[in-house]
Amino acid sequence: MRSYWFGDVVDGGCIPSGGNTEALVRRLHSLRTGMDDFVPLDWEDALTCGICRDRAEYLSFLRELCFAAAEMEIREQYAGKDVELLQMVRTLDEMDELINRLSERVTEWHQVRNPSFSRKYRRTPAHVLVKNIARGNKGALGRVAVHIEEFSAARTELAKEVSNRANRVLPNTSALIGGLVAARLMSHAGGLLPLSRMPASAIQVLGARTALFAHLRTHSPSPKHGIIFQHRRVHNAPREVRGKVARALAGKLAIAARLDHFRGVPVPEFLEKAQARIDLLGGSEE
Amino acid sequence: MIRIGDVLVSKGEGNVYGERMLGGARVWDPFRSKLAALYYTGKGVELLPGMRVLYLGAANGTTVSHVADYTEVVYAVEFAPRPMQDLLEVARRRKNIVPIMADACRPELYAPLVEAVDLLYQDVAQPDQAAIAIRNCAFLRPGGHLILMLKTRSVDVRKQPAEVFRETVDTLAAAGLTVQESVWLIPYHQDHAAIVCTKPGGIP
Repeated sequence: MRSYWFGDVVDGGCIPSGGNTEALVRRLHSLRTGMDDFVPLDWEDALTCGICRDRAEYLSFLRELCFAAAEMEIREQYAGKDVELLQMVRTLDEMDELINRLSERVTEWHQVRNPSFSRKYRRTPAHVLVKNIARGNKGALGRVAVHIEEFSAARTELAKEVSNRANRVLPNTSALIGGLVAARLMSHAGGLLPLSRMPASAIQVLGARTALFAHLRTHSPSPKHGIIFQHRRVHNAPREVRGKVARALAGKLAIAARLDHFRGVPVPEFLEKAQARIDLLGGSEE
Repeated sequence: MIRIGDVLVSKGEGNVYGERMLGGARVWDPFRSKLAALYYTGKGVELLPGMRVLYLGAANGTTVSHVADYTEVVYAVEFAPRPMQDLLEVARRRKNIVPIMADACRPELYAPLVEAVDLLYQDVAQPDQAAIAIRNCAFLRPGGHLILMLKTRSVDVRKQPAEVFRETVDTLAAAGLTVQESVWLIPYHQDHAAIVCTKPGGIP
């Protein structure tokens, strides 16, 4: 017997599979075809099956099935709770880059218009400077600066949303390292599933690709940390134990990511022990 | 193949991806499509109205739409959800495209859907491109053709493209295919080669 989408072909006959499109898709997924002695289907068997009257109808039914199967598959893949978070955090990082670059550019422009302007001996934060430029300049320069301000506001809002969503999607990872950094780790790994499959040593240097490959090629010192450096536990730790803290944190993050993927809820008994262990190495922090 | 002057075209409903029109036909740009580049740099396989085609690595359906203009039916296999959305949109308008969302490395999953085909076309960014093509030859009728668009950089970036090219041709020949033509797609695509094979048997 050979099984195809429209039915089972037996010697000299054919048993139609029947049912609506959904049932056909389910049957399609349940079929296990061996490729060693595989015989491609003959569409005329579908005629014998009484599925269709001619070739045009055969193709039209087949297309209907394939569209339904593909649409279901796409919906399923997009339904993963990490999929939207991935887009959100990548948008956030690109917005950061854009805001920084544009702020720098309008500052340069502003400087040309005001030959006496200098940032020396003044601690004006970038966003205040952009605000001043927006107020003090007419025409395109002022308008661009206003847009940077608005963009920054949207960025702040997005950052909050990313953090909130990460707390839901990655409860354990977020508890250890904060929602924003947790989301960035996931984005670099390519999703929650790939992150949960990563060894701790890979998580530790995620985001330090250039340094890692320089190390592998030229035997320069290995990177101690990648994105996880952004967490205060790592960057506030004394220099001599920073690598140690990063390693311990990465180890716990690998476990946390697996908990997030397979359980999806915070696990207090794990978190307590993990926090204690990392704090022990970090010394004074908390 | 239909040419207007020197320009390769296909006849069908236009504006799939903003392609230029020429005398009511769709211009098939060799810089965008590797298959079009093959028709400019080599001989390729003549696409005929009765042909059934299995197309692996259909992506956004750009090249697929041109192939569908020429042939009877195209089984278009694509794996990733994002390009699949575009492919479905193209297939909605072109009734002879059967869009299949599956991994070309696992033909057993779409085997119940695909009939025997006259042409197997493969353009996938995978390291084991030759093995994927050989596995999918199960769908190819004896005497049918395989066009493998070899992305040498996807096989192994550390190896010389020429070396990858040679190895792939050898692998295909060792699997019992007759290699008919193998050309680089220069100047249209860097480090890409086309290998045209025939499956032995059947009526020549």
